[in-house]
Formats: sequence, C-alpha cells, structure tokens
Amino acid sequence: MEDFELLRHITIGQYLPGDSLIHRLDPRTKISIFLFITIAVTFSVSYTGNIILVLATMFLVLLSRIPMSYVFSGIKPAIPLIIVLAVLQLLLYGDGFVPYGMQSKTYFQWGIIHITNGSLQLVIVSAMRFVELLFLTSLLTNTTTLADITHGMENMLRPFSRFGVPSHELSLVATIALRFVPLLAEQLEIIMKAQASRGADIAHKGKLQFITTARQVAALIVPLFIDAFRRAEDLILAMQARCYVGSQGRSSLVRLKFARIDYTVYGLSLAFSVAMLALRNHFPF
Amino acid sequence: MSEQPFIQIRDLHHSYLRNTPLEVTALRGVNMGIHRGESVGIIGRTGAGKSTVVQHFNGLIRPLEPGKVIVDGQDMSDPKVDVRRIRQKIGLVFQYPEQQLFERLVGDDIAFGPKKLGMEQADRRERVKWAMDMVGLDFEEFKDRFTFSLSGGEMRKAALAGVLALQPEMLILDESTSGVDPRSRRELLERLLTLHKEHNLTLAFVSPNMEDVAGLVDHIYVMDDGRVVMSGTTREVFSQPEKLRQHGLGVPQVTEVAHELISRNIPVERIPVTVEEGVEEIWKTLNS
Repeated sequence: MEDFELLRHITIGQYLPGDSLIHRLDPRTKISIFLFITIAVTFSVSYTGNIILVLATMFLVLLSRIPMSYVFSGIKPAIPLIIVLAVLQLLLYGDGFVPYGMQSKTYFQWGIIHITNGSLQLVIVSAMRFVELLFLTSLLTNTTTLADITHGMENMLRPFSRFGVPSHELSLVATIALRFVPLLAEQLEIIMKAQASRGADIAHKGKLQFITTARQVAALIVPLFIDAFRRAEDLILAMQARCYVGSQGRSSLVRLKFARIDYTVYGLSLAFSVAMLALRNHFPF
Repeated sequence: MSEQPFIQIRDLHHSYLRNTPLEVTALRGVNMGIHRGESVGIIGRTGAGKSTVVQHFNGLIRPLEPGKVIVDGQDMSDPKVDVRRIRQKIGLVFQYPEQQLFERLVGDDIAFGPKKLGMEQADRRERVKWAMDMVGLDFEEFKDRFTFSLSGGEMRKAALAGVLALQPEMLILDESTSGVDPRSRRELLERLLTLHKEHNLTLAFVSPNMEDVAGLVDHIYVMDDGRVVMSGTTREVFSQPEKLRQHGLGVPQVTEVAHELISRNIPVERIPVTVEEGVEEIWKTLNS
C-alpha cells in the first residue's frame, strides 16, 4: 500500500518540544558538542573507539528524552542505499584501507572481489559512524528550535566577521535552507496526491518502484520547483517590505547566556573529544 | 435510495504523524454515506477534518482499524484494491489545483490522465476537447498554449479539466473554487451542476463557507474537531443557525435575514437558502 505522508519519515530537523537537560542547554553549547563529537567520529576508525562513541552519543540522546524509535525511524528510507554502499565497500574496497598497526589479511578473493580484514572493518565502522552521526544530528535538531540554532550560529561566527565572514548572512542562508525542507516535503506530498488523483501511479510500493518513480519524476519535480521559486520570491518580497538589509545595525531579541551547566557540558564534551582523538591509535582493536 | 451507498464510511479515525511525538488526531469516529448521483457539502472550520475525510474517498489515505471505508462496494482497507481504478472513478480536485500542472502545453497536461489510462491518441484528443469544453476553455485556442503563460484562473480551469478528463463518476472539490473570480466560478459550478443532473455525476463540495454550497447540494455534513456534528438536508441544517455558530460557522446571509425576520414576528413560510428562494419568500410575505 502506498504512503503519502512524507513528513513522518523526516525526523532530522524536526524540533520536539521538551524540558530535558539537553533542551535547556544554550544553543551554542549544543552546536559545540555537535562539532566536537563529529570531529571525534570522523577520526575514529577502531572498533573500540566507535563502540565508545556509539554509547556516548546514545547516552546523550537518552538524556534528551527523545524516543529512540523516533530517531531510528529517520534512517528507514535510507536503509536500501546504506546496504548497497556497504556491500560495494565490502566487496571492492580490498586493500584500500589497512587498520592502524595491523597486518592486512585477505579473507576471500575472486576476480575483482577482494574481502580483507580492512574492508570488513571499514564497513562495520561506517555503519557505526552512521548511527553516531544520526544520534548527533537528531540531538541538535530535535532539541533546538531553528531560531535558536540560527542565533547560536550567528553568535559563534561573529568573531570571524573581522576577517570578512558574513556571519549573519551565512546563518540566515542556513536557516532558510533548513526551514524549506519540511515545507517542500509538505508541498511534494500535495503534488503527489494531486497527480495520483488524476491517474499517476505514484508511491506504489512495488519491486521496481524506483523505475516507475523515475518515469513520474517530471510530474512531481516541475510543480515542486515552481512552488519553491514562488516561495523564494514571496520571501524576498516579504523581506524587502520589512526593509531587511542584513546584519547592518540589527539587534537581537534573544540574548544568549551561558549558564554553569553550559560550561560543564562544554568542557566535558571538549575533553571527551580530545581524549578520543589522542587515544585513537592506542585502542587494543 | 435503498441501495448501498456509493461511498460509505463507518467509525473512521485518523491521525497524522502517527507513532511520532508530533502525532495529531484529525478524525475521531466519522460516519457518512454518499449515494450515487447525490450532491453533498462537507462543511467545517479549518482543522475540522474535512480534507482528511475526502482523501479517504479515493484511497489517498487508507482507513485505520477499526474504521471502514467502502467505495463502490470495495473495502478500502484491503491492500489489493485497485486504487487507480477507484481514482479514475472518483476525481479529487485540491485547493490550489494549478499547482499540479507540469506539461509544457495545456493540451498535453490535460491529456496526462487519459494517457495514464492507456487511451489511444484520437480518443485522448476527444476526451481533452470534452474536458476543456466543460471548464470553458476553448480547445483550439488553448490546447497549444504554454501552460505557464496562462492566467491564474485559466490555469485553475486547465487543472480542473485534467481531472475531468478521466470522466469520473464522482467529483470532489476540496475548496477548489476559492480565489476564482465570481463569474468564472458561477460558470464552472453551473457546468458541474449540468453534469450532475444530466450525467448523474456525484458531487462533493468541501468548504468552510456555507454560502459557497447553499444552492449546490442536497445534503450537508457539518464537521468539527474530527467528527460529523450535524447532518441533514440543506434546509434542515440551515434552520439551526445557533448550532452552526457553535461550530464556528454561519448560515448564508439570506437565511440569516429570514431568521431575523422571524424573530421580529414577520412570518416566513419556508427558510430560504439561496437568493432566489429568498426573493420568492419575501415576495410572498409582502403580498399576503
């Protein structure tokens, strides 16, 4: 049976109101945690390191009291793609990656298919990293309103404006981009329903679903783009009507303030990430 | 009408973003029955659940347990139901139908549905011509025009023609005529009523506005907060202005005038729902 409700499957970027410790943190703290741990994730290739990271990020998600099932329902649409990538990596990557301090061992070889301990580790670690990043992104976007993220980003980028970085404009661009995701999803849903109502076989779950989808794409993409452009024009008009000129002389309604808990969490996550980076080559396996 | 209704809905519940923390309940037990050849109005303020109900009519949303939706004798909770056939029978036009246009030429866009039905080129042409006729777009003049060079009103007519081109047995207009200029709107509705009368087209109008549907429908369902709160013939529903107001709705102005006259002890025999009826009643009262 088909399912038109696209927003049900977009969990990243959806703010869930709440009153947990994570919800109450300053957005700058949350953005920093996100950046620190993302760096730690990027440089961790060992099994041990990634197990620690999965547990740590999971701990943060539990602290935020976002339902685990909600976080995971966000990956569902991406699972086929992930599996295809994992299989390709496993079969073809071969000697491309040798774990630090280990001998390369070949488990299986036949033609171009070449499975080694390196490629196996790469696949498992990639999957773990994916989960870690999913946790982190959910953590930031599900507990922070878009307005708060914007304020936080702008605030953090401000020191760089001395070197000509347009901090306000950059965060505005990011906000608009993020804000448009659910809007476009909603619009796409309407268009899909409208086209299905006049005979298109859209959202039909079948074996060759992607082929029919590709054939229908014009009927969806053209109206979606027209709508996106129309919305963009409306937005420009509304901004001009309010004399928007960017950051020049603009003050903010919300004053961000670091509380003691922010310093604590900030310090802890920084220390954790530095430790992960420093120890990354010293884990037993 | 004793035969089984064309569309029958029993104890229908629905919520959006189901199984997420953002779940919103839209329907809380709706019952409805629409017979072939009927013209019904589904009225209610925003968020009452009107659109959610009508999207069950053509299988865009499937019923959840324990609700039942029977369309043309078929149980829509059965995953094997051929929804494309149902959607061909039941045309649904959304609020801003011009948003569904995508082909370069008007004629091609209207032919999208018939093409999906697998119709031959020549039949398709006839069908497109017929549909354009219905909405009042001249075939020769408009078929080769660029879709996106049309005016807003013309785009809307073209989109409506795109649904009509499937020659549905039932047509649902989900606030599709809002924002159309009064004259085009009247012409369009008159054409639809002709189809209704001459070809037994079943009609359903969804609107937050009583005035919109007053002269068009035989039966009205009033919805509020996910339930059907009033149901009856147009006159029955409009004779209870107090109750309608409770649900955030009003009656047509002419009906309101009649109620006002009654409250001032001026006799009105029959509560009018359209301007024509109102004129007649006032004329009668004046002469008596």
